[in-house]
Amino acid sequence: MADLEFETRLDRLFAEPPHFPDAPLFALKVDERLNRGWTLRRLVIGALGLVGGVIGVAQIMSSGVLGKLQFVSNASAKSLNDLAALAPAKLSLPALPFGGEALWMSALLAILALGFALTRAIKEI
Amino acid sequence: MTGSTSPALASAHDVELAALAAAGSRPAFGELVRRHSSAVRGLLRRMGADAALADDLAQDAFLAGFEQVADFRGEGAFQGWIKRIAARLYVRRLRKDARVDLMSETPEPHPPHAGEGAAADRIDLDEALKMLSAAERVCISLCYGAGLSHAEVAEALNAPLGTVKSHVKRGLDKLKQRLAPVGRGEDEDQVAGRPVHG
Repeated sequence: MADLEFETRLDRLFAEPPHFPDAPLFALKVDERLNRGWTLRRLVIGALGLVGGVIGVAQIMSSGVLGKLQFVSNASAKSLNDLAALAPAKLSLPALPFGGEALWMSALLAILALGFALTRAIKEI
Repeated sequence: MTGSTSPALASAHDVELAALAAAGSRPAFGELVRRHSSAVRGLLRRMGADAALADDLAQDAFLAGFEQVADFRGEGAFQGWIKRIAARLYVRRLRKDARVDLMSETPEPHPPHAGEGAAADRIDLDEALKMLSAAERVCISLCYGAGLSHAEVAEALNAPLGTVKSHVKRGLDKLKQRLAPVGRGEDEDQVAGRPVHG
């Protein structure tokens, strides 16, 4: 019983922290170290992103993707020209009740809406 | 996080502050630091760290606490949680530096009871802890200061459970003698035939 009493007393003594007059200074030091850590982290992430970007661009340039893209672009332009030649005059853009700008704006808005919906969905997840 | 704190944070419960900190609020974590830094620094000093080391490790503990604050679920007190982080950091440092043979069963020599019978000293835990060997001091502080069980202390120190228990027992006996109420200590001294000083 005496042991239990003493242990309770010891618990109480340990629970009483000593007074530190420099406690506010200590809190500031912790804050400074947190700041330093975050700044360093941001710098490292930024640097890694930059290095990754440079490596990615270099890889793209060296793999000849641009040449292939040029080829695909030329091929698709040729296909579109062929299609336009085959299509009846009624389906041509100038024949639509709205202008080509409106069509592009609608496509842009649709892409924005899709992006917004995706962002919300990711947040929900 | 600055020297001052907003009234909303000052009146918030630790669990709320921890939740805010987990969401990235540095001012909320700053308030937790303000509330509990003295307890953490005090524990580390009571475990035997000198002032500079205790402050360094206390800062490390709070930084680690900020990283892990999402793991704090509020099942226990925040102070206990952060004190355990600090205590484990100190134990890791001791083991790394190999400054204390925590496996040793042999009590280390310690200074005699300075000022035996001095009433003021009898109630000073910090002075009393200095009478213990390093291993006893660490074990007692981990158990009663950081709230670890004997098994958790044994795991933290990588020491056998029996060794930890005997360090705690010996430490408690010494502390009991040292922290005994004035009257009781004098009575015991008289019964033991020892002179009672001033």
